[in-house]
Amino acid sequence: MTWAEPSRLLWLLALPIVYWLLLPPPPRELRWTPHLAQWQAALGSLRRRPPRRVGLRVVLLLLAAAATVVAFAGPVLVGRPGPSRLVVLFDASASTGARTASGAPAFEVASSLVRDRLAALPPHVEVTLLRCGGPILRRHGASAKTMQDFGAPAGTLGADLVALAASIDGRDDTVVWTVTDGQGQVRLPDAGALSCIPAPGPNAAIVAVRVVDRWPLPTLSLAVDLVAFADGPLAGIVRATGAVAAPVERAVSLPNGAVTTLEFDVERRAEGGGIDVRVAASGDVLPGDDAWIADLPPLPAPRIGVLSDEENGPFVQAAAQALAEEVAGSVVRARAGESVGMLVVDGGAAPIEPGRVRAVCFGTRHDAAAPLGDALEPRVVDWDRDHPLSVGLDLSELRVASALPAALPRGEPFLWAEGSGGERLPLAVVVGDERTASVHFAFRLADSNLPLLPAFPQLLRRAFVRAYGTGAALAVRSPAAAAGEQDLRSPLPAADRALPPFGTPERSLAQAFVLAGLVLLALRAFVR
Amino acid sequence: MKRVRALPVVPERFPAGFRTMLRDLLARGPKLRTGRTEQRRAQSRALAQSGTFVGHRPYVCGDDLRRIDWAACARTGELFVKLLEEEDRRTLTILLDLSASLLAGTPPRRLAALRLAAVLGGLALRRLDGLTIVAPGAGRAEAATFAGAGDLDELLRHLDALPVADVAPDAAIATFARRGVAGRIHWISDFAEPRAFEVPLAALRRRGADVVGWLPTMPEDHGAPRRGYVEVIDPENGASLAVPVDDELAAAMQRELELLARRQARLFAQTGCPLVRWASPEATDFRAAVWQDAIGWGLR
Repeated sequence: MTWAEPSRLLWLLALPIVYWLLLPPPPRELRWTPHLAQWQAALGSLRRRPPRRVGLRVVLLLLAAAATVVAFAGPVLVGRPGPSRLVVLFDASASTGARTASGAPAFEVASSLVRDRLAALPPHVEVTLLRCGGPILRRHGASAKTMQDFGAPAGTLGADLVALAASIDGRDDTVVWTVTDGQGQVRLPDAGALSCIPAPGPNAAIVAVRVVDRWPLPTLSLAVDLVAFADGPLAGIVRATGAVAAPVERAVSLPNGAVTTLEFDVERRAEGGGIDVRVAASGDVLPGDDAWIADLPPLPAPRIGVLSDEENGPFVQAAAQALAEEVAGSVVRARAGESVGMLVVDGGAAPIEPGRVRAVCFGTRHDAAAPLGDALEPRVVDWDRDHPLSVGLDLSELRVASALPAALPRGEPFLWAEGSGGERLPLAVVVGDERTASVHFAFRLADSNLPLLPAFPQLLRRAFVRAYGTGAALAVRSPAAAAGEQDLRSPLPAADRALPPFGTPERSLAQAFVLAGLVLLALRAFVR
Repeated sequence: MKRVRALPVVPERFPAGFRTMLRDLLARGPKLRTGRTEQRRAQSRALAQSGTFVGHRPYVCGDDLRRIDWAACARTGELFVKLLEEEDRRTLTILLDLSASLLAGTPPRRLAALRLAAVLGGLALRRLDGLTIVAPGAGRAEAATFAGAGDLDELLRHLDALPVADVAPDAAIATFARRGVAGRIHWISDFAEPRAFEVPLAALRRRGADVVGWLPTMPEDHGAPRRGYVEVIDPENGASLAVPVDDELAAAMQRELELLARRQARLFAQTGCPLVRWASPEATDFRAAVWQDAIGWGLR
């Protein structure tokens, strides 16, 4: 035992003085008497108690004061030296989802082991739990001991466990404990404790899926890259199920360590839904990388509305027809109260709020009162090669006879012309958000050769897709395949190393002495 | 922790002044303050010689001349005194309480008790045939017999040597059971706990003993100090009590002492025995008049 403030023990020297001051005065007269019983009876008749045993009461009071002084001096029980912090490096990469010999995934076995060990730790040990693999997570204290919101096996083991353990172990009374399955690593940590839970076995996985989405057409082209790691070729079956008109099932033979690509088309259902592409192979120990899952949006039934003056010629009608053929829709006349999926407007003025209506407008004024500005005879100088609407299209042959750039709303330009002063003027913009958009050109179809260009149908189709925004996008829900997490045949061999004994902290005895003082005072109350 | 205190010291029991007063008192003879008829009756009872002859013993100075066997003197030329068998009226027994409670008082009650025993015993040696001192708890000196005026000094030595012994009053019954009851019994004690004396006193009465209780009284028996912070200690067990005394407590103590006196009186009244409350004289008070009551009771 040691003291936090040993100088305060000097107050104990005051106790003899207190004792001397508390001593009662001695009786002034001493009488030998045979009548002690009569004295006691006389006191009893007056309901007077015999004088208290002052000495014992004083001793108890002094002991309580001494206990208080000792508590004031801060008695401390010296602890045992040793680590007081524990950092657990938990390998939660995708490979830990493999089944062990017991049938349980290595991740669950490791989680159970960590929970049990952490629950048995002394309460003063600070615990930090680091998830290595997939998203980096850090848990501390009680949330670490319960592995709260620790997720499922996923991702690659991005951390260098060897370097991480070496940098942590032994620093600031910290001991490190690595829990891993031994997969995807060059060597295992030499520092600290180690628990290795291997789950070796053959594995077949979907490495990647390339999708050609012909939305709003129902055809979906899939190219599935498969890989297998086994002692020999692995026979498997690839199934595409879910929101498809007819499930697809293909048998494949997967050679060891080589990527096999399987291409097939599926017809998606008009109402949309999830599509599940899954490979099933005998003896596969890791089911987590066997599936590719995506959500398909519902297919539209586009009605292409046309709004144009007679003088604008047949170009807009031809464009609408081309778009209807491209998206398997129909062309209708735009009238009040008519519901259409896409509006094609050529020239004139139409009260269309840019970005709020799915439309493609060619030389259309949206505000009839707005000034027209000068009609240019622009020279197309450039288009955005990376824009979703113009990527891969050749617009070099585009000629525009007349345009009204001032009539364009504010938006995202992707086509420009050179002004009279040499400045770049937008000839086409996209206005809207992720869900609804409209495409605006500064010229009428009749004033350009755009309808004659080969890129025109594709541009219309892209404008249609862009007008629907994310509603037309396919959403992949399955995680990307983790590189290096598929080959489970030969985990690194390692012998487990146990955690070292933890130290015990210093414990203050001040509270115990205060309690002892209170007990002595309580006892004193019963001493007469 | 209990503090051990030395018991009070009893002053010299029989100093020269007391011995002189005692011899004068015995030589001068009792001055009874009773009427003529009672005086004559007491004298005749004291001077009468009766009993069974059991032998002779040599005459010593102080023996009653009337008890000399002149016939034996004529035959042998030496003085002999006739020894008669002890009978009730010819002998006397003094039962002494040696308990430490008699050490209380100033002077200690034990001093008055021993001197009272000496006066009664001396009177018995002078006037009667024999004397027995019974002191329960005194070991081999528990019972001692004396005869003749010449044993006065031996009696005083015996009394002076008696120790302090804490024995229950019941112990006297065993002594009398072994030795039998001889003559009147003068029981000298403080009778501090009357209940403890009920059984032995009743037992003695059943044996036909004529018991006289002697209680040498002290000022402490009549009242408590009026004020003060007093520690009172029981000499028998050393138990003490620190008592702040005020008028109210002094009055209550007065009532308790009166109650004790009544209980002591009732103790003897129930057995038909007298209890003599006799005021203890000062340690240096050797006036003969102080002992008149004792002499009177001794001659009855």
